[in-house]
Amino acid sequence: MAQPDIIDESGDKYKYGFITDIEADTAPAGLNADIIRLISQKKEEPEWLLEWRLKAFEFWQTMSEPHWAKLAYDKIDYQALHYYSAPKQKVAPKSLQEVDKSLLETYDKLGIPLKEQEALAGVVAVDAVFDSVSVATTYRAKLAEKGIIFCSISEAIKNHPDLVKKYLGSVVPYTDNFFACLNSAVFTDGSFVYIPKGVKSPMELSTYFRINAKNTGQFERTLIVAEDDSYVSYLEGCTAPQRDENQLHAAIVEIVVMNNAEVKYSTVQNWYPGDKDGKGGVYNFVTKRAACRGANSKISWTQVETGSAVTWKYPSCVLQGDNSVGEFYSVAITNNRQQADTGTKMIHIGKNTTSKIISKGISAGFSNQTYRGLVKVTPQADNARNYSQCDSLLIGANCGSHTVPYVENRNRNAVLEHEATTSKISDEQLFYCKQRGISEEEAVSLIVNGFCKDVMQHLPMEFAIEAAKLINISLEGSVG
Amino acid sequence: MNTPLLEIEDLCAEVCGKQIIKDFNLTINEGEVHAIMGPNGAGKSTLSYVLCGKPGYAVTSGSVRFKGKDLLAMSVEERAREGVFLIMQYPVEIPGVPTTTFLKHAVNAVRKHQGLPELDTMEFLKMVREEGRLLGIDNEMLKRPINVGFSGGEKKRMETLEMSILKPDFAILDEADSGLDIDALKVVAEGVNRLRDGKRSMLVITHYQRLLNYIVPDFVHVFADGHIVRSGNKDLALELEQNGYAEFVKEK
Amino acid sequence: MTNLVPNIAYDYAELAKVSGIELPTPKTEAWKYTRLRDLLDCPYTLCTPSSATGPELPLKADVIHISNGRLVSALPQVAGAEITVIDHVEEKTHHPFAQMNALYLTQGLQITIRRKLSRPLVLNYHMSPNGENGFYHWRNIINCEKDSSAAIIEQFTYEGEVKSCYLANLVNDINIQAGASLQHYKYQNEAFKANHVALHEITIAADGKYESFCLQKGANIARNETEISLNGEGAEAVVNAAYMMNGWATLDTTTNVYHYQPHTKSSQLVKGVVGGTAKGVFQGRIHIAPNAVCTSGTQLHKAMVLSDDAEIDVKPELEIFADDVKCSHGAASGEIDKEQLFYMRSRGIGEEEAKTLLIDAYVTDVINHITDSSVREWFKSLI
Repeated sequence: MAQPDIIDESGDKYKYGFITDIEADTAPAGLNADIIRLISQKKEEPEWLLEWRLKAFEFWQTMSEPHWAKLAYDKIDYQALHYYSAPKQKVAPKSLQEVDKSLLETYDKLGIPLKEQEALAGVVAVDAVFDSVSVATTYRAKLAEKGIIFCSISEAIKNHPDLVKKYLGSVVPYTDNFFACLNSAVFTDGSFVYIPKGVKSPMELSTYFRINAKNTGQFERTLIVAEDDSYVSYLEGCTAPQRDENQLHAAIVEIVVMNNAEVKYSTVQNWYPGDKDGKGGVYNFVTKRAACRGANSKISWTQVETGSAVTWKYPSCVLQGDNSVGEFYSVAITNNRQQADTGTKMIHIGKNTTSKIISKGISAGFSNQTYRGLVKVTPQADNARNYSQCDSLLIGANCGSHTVPYVENRNRNAVLEHEATTSKISDEQLFYCKQRGISEEEAVSLIVNGFCKDVMQHLPMEFAIEAAKLINISLEGSVG
Repeated sequence: MNTPLLEIEDLCAEVCGKQIIKDFNLTINEGEVHAIMGPNGAGKSTLSYVLCGKPGYAVTSGSVRFKGKDLLAMSVEERAREGVFLIMQYPVEIPGVPTTTFLKHAVNAVRKHQGLPELDTMEFLKMVREEGRLLGIDNEMLKRPINVGFSGGEKKRMETLEMSILKPDFAILDEADSGLDIDALKVVAEGVNRLRDGKRSMLVITHYQRLLNYIVPDFVHVFADGHIVRSGNKDLALELEQNGYAEFVKEK
Repeated sequence: MTNLVPNIAYDYAELAKVSGIELPTPKTEAWKYTRLRDLLDCPYTLCTPSSATGPELPLKADVIHISNGRLVSALPQVAGAEITVIDHVEEKTHHPFAQMNALYLTQGLQITIRRKLSRPLVLNYHMSPNGENGFYHWRNIINCEKDSSAAIIEQFTYEGEVKSCYLANLVNDINIQAGASLQHYKYQNEAFKANHVALHEITIAADGKYESFCLQKGANIARNETEISLNGEGAEAVVNAAYMMNGWATLDTTTNVYHYQPHTKSSQLVKGVVGGTAKGVFQGRIHIAPNAVCTSGTQLHKAMVLSDDAEIDVKPELEIFADDVKCSHGAASGEIDKEQLFYMRSRGIGEEEAKTLLIDAYVTDVINHITDSSVREWFKSLI
């Protein structure tokens, strides 16, 4: 039987590759202190934030782009990018009805039924970020009743400056890394979530990110603060239109989790991956980190990564509070010429902290994928526990799959376990399915979804269905 | 009655460049149950894989016609959809794929091929649960990933369940009794016997006569050195039980 | 070879620098966990010759004594092998310590195995520092000819002041031809302020087999690095190791296994026990080249941490460019099993004794993989 043929036209099947035609207010290309002042001015920011941005920019100029990841991409010209682009609108929309119609159509194509949702009355609250400026936030009133703040970060800077000032950069300081530093200097929008003490969010909060304008870097910044005894589940979906140029995306997500609080953060990342020859696609350099500051706090990252030409992303957990828990569940799929270097960091600092890593990587076509993870146990983290499992599946003979876990243990009571396997879809499994009448394509999809199950089951239901579909779309044509 | 279902003529096949099936001939008519018995390592399982089209099992000459069509020209799944079913000796585990999901895909692939409407989830579950009950397969087992962590007996019961819901025209039972205790064997045999309707045919491959007490064949063939060396009725199986295969195994 | 002046204390880092060789820095990924600073801390003079020899091994073997980096006994006549002395080599790799080794070679051996050897060949390295901080560079070029088979045992010991600070830099260039097999065992028990850097570069042709085991117990910084290229179908490598340390040492086991051809196989099992302020490092990489299908590579590292200040750093790595492969790695670290300890104590065994028994059992598990029974027993006697 022939080996699955990997060369195909699947790169042209990007479902979300439409471009929305709306006038945008765009800053000139290039990056300098004046551009940063312009961004800050456009956003009517307070002085302290401008100063912070300028400090970040100054520091960024002393840094160099990291190249330790197993990623090869064309040099990024940071001076050729536009750092600000906002949809032009005369007056800020007060309700969904006032939002530009073509924008709403875009969301429909994306499958976010914004309008429907208001009618359906409160399942998910959506904050849609479109080229860096949040255009519509739904269900705010309902959330406000509970004291939950869910808005764009720009609004939060205006309306809740003390909260933003207190937590912004407290988990990911601007000195953290090159891309985080760049983001700190130029971030234009993002989401802000504040869950007060004792409040369980009555609905899942959801943000959709989308890159539209040409040559625009998207630098959104999300900040989530969960006070004592609170709970929130946050969903993030990402898409970008199909373009020949590479688009840069350097985002930051910071999460602060206090005593007995829990945050679930789920991502379905489906940025444009480039065509089958690797032309175009999003460069996705993201810093995501959660600090479990309180005792018994918990953070759970779940990600399904199918998009982007280049992914550089390590959602991390800093387990400071005693008995805090960090979890990372990841499915990453690369096809054609995609490259992904992704994983997590679990930093055990508090006593009795536990962490769990389940990573499932699927490589097809000519793609390359690396799991890179760190489990670090500091001397004071007595009784730390970690279990890591990283499985990789290879489809076709031209892809690569790599596993680079780092385990650093400085505590005698720590119990750390790491397991990893790499294999292809077994011929026996394929034969078994086909002997029962199932086609090869369907069999591969069944087996791959089965392979990912341990991760998918951690996604909220509606997200899980979308993610399962995405997996199938991503692998289309990777088999015979 | 004597409508041929499967006609194997002068079949030769090899695995890894080694010839295992040599000038094999056999015709199975509708409704007939044939047993193939032979010493271990004679290539009995190879025959079943060749008929199903397993990759790596290469036919070098000869022909196989199924319902008059060229079976060897069909892909694995086409043969399955045409009605060739194999109860495997070692069913493979597929982690994460719930049994019902797997079965639903299989049932609907076959139905689509037959021009029948696909079953919706409710209809499908009703059917699977009913058939499962007859084989002692409960709902919990149906929710587990297919074959994962199943005991030998559970795996064989699952194979039988798959057969009874896919309703193939021709079933091959490859050492269906291996790893079964007597009670499990009876359950499996009853399941198989329920499907004997005078039209469906079967090929029972076994080393021991034991299974043939429960699935009584119309014909028994002795398989050695790549082909049938002797044929008879069910009494031949008893004779083999008595005398062993020694007289059929050539000195190498 | 470049000549070094005796009795002059060389700053090793400076010597490398003027020779155009870049020693690893704290930012060098491959040396991330091993604190070279301590190794490069003191200046070294070229070792002065010594005639002291190391303890004999309790096995029937042909023995070559090497003392302070120089041969001290006549070379034995070994039926089926040819052994000659070398005093210069060329280094083909970019490994900085191997480059230093070649450039300033003290001495070395060319060993050609022509057929099956009847008994192991022992290389008994001994250090007698005589109060100086000496260094030596030793290299073996081992060629296992087609269908030959041999066992080579390396032992590293010292005498005199336990706090002697010296540096042993060793390289084994091993070429295993088609169908040949080599068993390679090593016991390292250097002085506890001494440093030991060893590189084994091994190429294996079709159906060739390499089996190794290394027990590290001594030194301040010791790195045992193995680089294997499986260059022919059917080639196979077993790279096992154990380390035990209670002081402040860094014991580093680094492996790179390259599967370049289909139907190649490798397995690694490494177990470590660290107490005091010791640090155990395991870095292992399995690399499967494109088209190297039907390969299997496994790797397992387990460590036991006995004290609050001990540390374990692990980086097991898979780098896979072919689809029809079966690869896995695992890493585990934890303290001594409390249940087992309790069970033994409940049967009247004292806590310290119970711990010793459990640690022995932990390490013996790796030693049991050694195929040669007399070597196996010898290693068991060393733990």
